[in-house]
Amino acid sequence: VNDSNQPHENSDHLWEELSAYLDGELDAAGRKKVEARLASDPVYSTMLQRLERSWNALDELPRAETGQAFAQTTLQMVAIAAESSAAPPSPLRRGARGWWLAVAGSVLAAGLAGVYVGKRLYPDVNRSLLEDLPLMEHLDAYRQVENVEFLRQLNQAGLFEEEGDRAS
Amino acid sequence: MLRVQEGEAAAFTELVLRYQNRLITILDHLVGNRQTAEDLAQDVFVRVFKARERYQPGAKFSTWLFTIANHVASNALRSQSRRPEINLDARESGPLGANPMENLAIEKSGQMPTRQLDSVELKSAVHVALQSLSERQRMAVLLSKFEEMSYADIAETMQLSQPAVKSLLSRARLNLKSALEPYWQNGEITAAKANGTVGDDDL
Repeated sequence: VNDSNQPHENSDHLWEELSAYLDGELDAAGRKKVEARLASDPVYSTMLQRLERSWNALDELPRAETGQAFAQTTLQMVAIAAESSAAPPSPLRRGARGWWLAVAGSVLAAGLAGVYVGKRLYPDVNRSLLEDLPLMEHLDAYRQVENVEFLRQLNQAGLFEEEGDRAS
Repeated sequence: MLRVQEGEAAAFTELVLRYQNRLITILDHLVGNRQTAEDLAQDVFVRVFKARERYQPGAKFSTWLFTIANHVASNALRSQSRRPEINLDARESGPLGANPMENLAIEKSGQMPTRQLDSVELKSAVHVALQSLSERQRMAVLLSKFEEMSYADIAETMQLSQPAVKSLLSRARLNLKSALEPYWQNGEITAAKANGTVGDDDL
């Protein structure tokens, strides 16, 4: 590599461009530009060859060759992992579950107590109306009497007896 | 992978058999130790199985697998660097074992035919050159060279941007060139002299 190469050598951009070209990552326009320069610039072309040569040397690296034994051990490890994830909960997890149940029970009890207190504080209007329904149904009749003693006398006189009652 | 997701054991066996060599090759060159690479590969497969429900149909399985492998290897290398006094395994990888230069000298003194010796030397030079790259450069090179991944796939696997991958691979190529040219010119086996910044801050 002579001194005339220096301007190229120091250009990160050119190395990056050539690297992307070798990786097939340039678009059509970028590729065309690189190929045009490669045809006309011998230094640029040498840079490409140097990059390519060192990259191709990586083919010398050994590739792993494992067989069934490795796969078998791996699958055993996976089976153990699967079993442990499907196993019953540990004492610690059981404890955690008990804690959650206790919390849920407390929340439910607090809710029921809240409903009871709420009903005491804010009675249901419909319920009191239902309780007073018999009175309201005969309110007009009750207004026509002056007191309870008079009503009792009328009752004893058989005034409130229905037709059926009299028949029996 | 979709069959594995449904809990089909035979499908997982097939998946292990299909990817085990590819995975161990990458991990071996990444961590520089075959036994560690096998242990990590098994860890990766266990993680893949455990995470099978999170696999998105349509996603490229190899990208997903090597993303997990990248995490596992990075963690292993990090903990290895925190405990430098612990040698994980005496059986280092590479064509000439734990100490390529020393072993090469021993082999040179024997009756090894010249062509075979050249090949062993070249393997050793390439191994030294690769190991002298930063962890990220090495991973990007291995994914590109052995898995023929595109910049987009490497970016996804390594969780980087595509321009970052482009720059990473360009620097890695330059470092490999710097490491191998002295060997081709004078037979010197040297580690790469950093082109740019070697290390994980090379982005």
